[in-house]
Amino acid sequence: MTNTVMTRVMEPLRKIVGSENMLTSASERIVYECDGFVVEKNSPDVVVFPTSTDQVAAIAKACNEAGVPFLPRGAGTSLAGGCLPVGGGVMIVLTRMKEILEINLRDHYAVVQPGVVNVWLTQALKGSGYHYAPDPSSQGACTIGGNVATNSGGPHTLKYGVTVNHVLGVEAVMADGSIVTIGGPAGEMPGPDLVGALVGSEGTLAIVTRVWVRLTRDPQGYRTMLGIFESVDDATQAISAIIGAGIIPAALEMMDQGILVALEEAFHFGFPLDAQAILLIEVDGLEAGLDGQRDEIIRLCKETGAREVRLAADEQERLKLWKCRKQAFGAIGRLSSSFCTQDGVVPRTQLPGIFKKIRETSEKYDIRIVNVFHAGDGNLHPILLFDERNPDEIKKVMEASGEILEACLDAGGSVTGEHGIGVEKIRYMNKMFRESDLVAMRQLRDAFNPDNLLSPDKMLPTAGACGMEQIHPGRRAAL
Amino acid sequence: MMKPHASPNRDRVSTEITTLPLIETVTPNDQDALAEQVTACFEQKRPVYPLGGCTSLDYGLLPLREGTGLSLAGLDQLVDFPARDLTVTVEAGFSMATLAEQVAEEGLQLPIHVPQAKEATIGGVIATNWNGPARKGYGTIRDYVIGISAVDGKGLPFRGGGRVVKNVAGYDFCKLLTGSLGTLGVITQVTLRLKPIPARTSTQVVPLDDLDQAEQLLCGLVDSQATPFAMELLSGDCWQGSPGLDSGSPWHLAISCSGTDDEVAYMVGQLEQELLDQSLSAPRKLTEDEHQQLWAKLVEFPACPEAPLVIQATVVPSGTTTIAREARLLDPECSIQAHAGSGIVIVRFSEFPADGLSRALVGTLQPVAAAAHGNVTILSNPSGREMTPRSAWGMVPAPLALLSRIKKNFDPADILNPGRFVYP
Repeated sequence: MTNTVMTRVMEPLRKIVGSENMLTSASERIVYECDGFVVEKNSPDVVVFPTSTDQVAAIAKACNEAGVPFLPRGAGTSLAGGCLPVGGGVMIVLTRMKEILEINLRDHYAVVQPGVVNVWLTQALKGSGYHYAPDPSSQGACTIGGNVATNSGGPHTLKYGVTVNHVLGVEAVMADGSIVTIGGPAGEMPGPDLVGALVGSEGTLAIVTRVWVRLTRDPQGYRTMLGIFESVDDATQAISAIIGAGIIPAALEMMDQGILVALEEAFHFGFPLDAQAILLIEVDGLEAGLDGQRDEIIRLCKETGAREVRLAADEQERLKLWKCRKQAFGAIGRLSSSFCTQDGVVPRTQLPGIFKKIRETSEKYDIRIVNVFHAGDGNLHPILLFDERNPDEIKKVMEASGEILEACLDAGGSVTGEHGIGVEKIRYMNKMFRESDLVAMRQLRDAFNPDNLLSPDKMLPTAGACGMEQIHPGRRAAL
Repeated sequence: MMKPHASPNRDRVSTEITTLPLIETVTPNDQDALAEQVTACFEQKRPVYPLGGCTSLDYGLLPLREGTGLSLAGLDQLVDFPARDLTVTVEAGFSMATLAEQVAEEGLQLPIHVPQAKEATIGGVIATNWNGPARKGYGTIRDYVIGISAVDGKGLPFRGGGRVVKNVAGYDFCKLLTGSLGTLGVITQVTLRLKPIPARTSTQVVPLDDLDQAEQLLCGLVDSQATPFAMELLSGDCWQGSPGLDSGSPWHLAISCSGTDDEVAYMVGQLEQELLDQSLSAPRKLTEDEHQQLWAKLVEFPACPEAPLVIQATVVPSGTTTIAREARLLDPECSIQAHAGSGIVIVRFSEFPADGLSRALVGTLQPVAAAAHGNVTILSNPSGREMTPRSAWGMVPAPLALLSRIKKNFDPADILNPGRFVYP
């Protein structure tokens, strides 16, 4: 932004939040130049930390008056550049609005501010018999406001659904600074499901300042298994067999040999390093049904070629297994200095085909690819390993990623299951949707955000005004 | 290309609809033809009334402007059913009953139970956000639509989502169109996620002396380890002769559980124990046949053309008995069905309120519902008397200005179901 334009908004911002809740120097702002997608960077012109909905509304109004773009940010764990301030402007960081305002067990809901970290809510509910079901792997850091913006998933979506299935209502500041409440603890309301439309809109429709979330009963028990397979194909057959038998596990995750080696080095769990793939399978629910489901899963895994099926002996071992899974990306550093994670989705039955394609792509470009993903949902996370000092490798990684995502689309899938479009995948929107679909999406955005001052150049390709040019794949990621 | 009105269903569409100001009814053969029809209407600024199974034409305000009935009867194809992916793609005119039959052949279900399922279409169920008694355990239709195609009020075809169960690319039109009452777009095709049919389902019925006892029981069941998927609080003449509801008590709670054989056996025993702990008599466990009969009545209850007024309150679960009590005060002879685990109370009035709707609903029930974070809407009012935006839709918990801007962008000529919803 030009200095004169920004000058117009600085004084109003200072009056709203106070100097102590603003970052203006270049050295402070640089921390906010990107999120978990580190490829593209741009510092905001100013960072503000409001502590109330009224402050957020006043900030939005000030930005409108000055004609300055603005965008919200939670913990910045987005993997797609959802919090990247394209073109600069005012960044509204919501992490100081972090109160759990109400927990109502009789009516199964909680009310939280957007800066509440996902795991805090589950910790606050410990012992109550309830939990908040969406559990992205970054749940120790990511905020519920950010989860709402990106419709976050996680390993347990197969049975419990994603964020939108657990949001009953929101209070939000609109692009023009007005405050609205949509939905509420009773959930259903007459008319279009605007709460559902807001969830996953990546901060382009409104800034959520309060969320009513549904609380879910804790299961009585769990059975957690590791199916060890000689081939990826056998493992994918087992996934189809389990779900085909009418069992919906709480989680069904696959890890291939490449990632197992890294995990074993990091966590010393005792993974078999010669296995080509393992399935981490968890069923939960009433104790009365768990042993039956466990036995059936073991039978189906063996029938489809599992060498061995191990059971988590106790809660401690179960938690260690999940720690390995959720921190898998931390272990990648042992394999490569740089890596790029993709987030494609295919129909579950297309997993063998897409795996073949990933293998072929790896060979074609001579790029090592390891896999850890939400197999039950068909949500892939191929991780492409490379050396970012080598420009040729960077180019190859970009091309290989593109080929894999296009194969996902050819298989009837999507380019993103849970990370979002952000700026990273904006170039795929034209491939996934027709122009008329994108026109309809602009119709929706324009109803909420007519001047496009809120989170501009995100999610939707804008005719004549492209976002930042993507020149470099990501280095770090978590999911 | 238009299909002639050949089938009985199509004749019915053209001849039996008296509640809409139709000057013609057309039945496009495919989605392109439907888009062309809407484009033509847009150019002439002529209203378009989408017609699915015509089972919910009483829902909401009655449109007055003359226009074209757009029958979805020609869009009745099953497009794709990859059973192992637990998804199905159908055109919007597909009947709910046929859908249930076809997916059941693979052991699967869409656990949304609607009245008049033979006539009701999947597009209509999504457009009206219609959900049945199983919503406590299985969620609502918004949880099952993963891909959607529609045509907006300019004839622009658009789609959102896809055919995979997890997908965050672009805005979620599946949600936007759920409950949109055909006012933002005509739904033409949808992809749904499915669930396995559980091995066993069982219903137990508890007789109750009054609503205080009901509230006490419901509070106790909040933390029940029996984890029922439906808890139906029932009272009134309409339930007479129903299986398990013949105890002579004024209220009954029918509690349904599902799962594997072992799970259901546990749930049934657990529930008996919990009731005993609350000093209530043992529940009566229905036979499989009785369960089926009662379940059919539970699903059909809201659709009652002969009832003078049917309303639905949506509140937090703890407000269920309060609403039921108020409804009884308004009409001692009314019949009530409450999805007590979800805070939905459906009331069939025995007569049109003598004091009028503004007093009965706007003045009495709506404030009680609002105190329980909820709202009251009219499901059917065959007389058409006193239907105003406020009596029909209550206090819509969304900003009208925003709703109107969305409406204007998707339907600038205001031709899609004009007058049905609360848009100014």
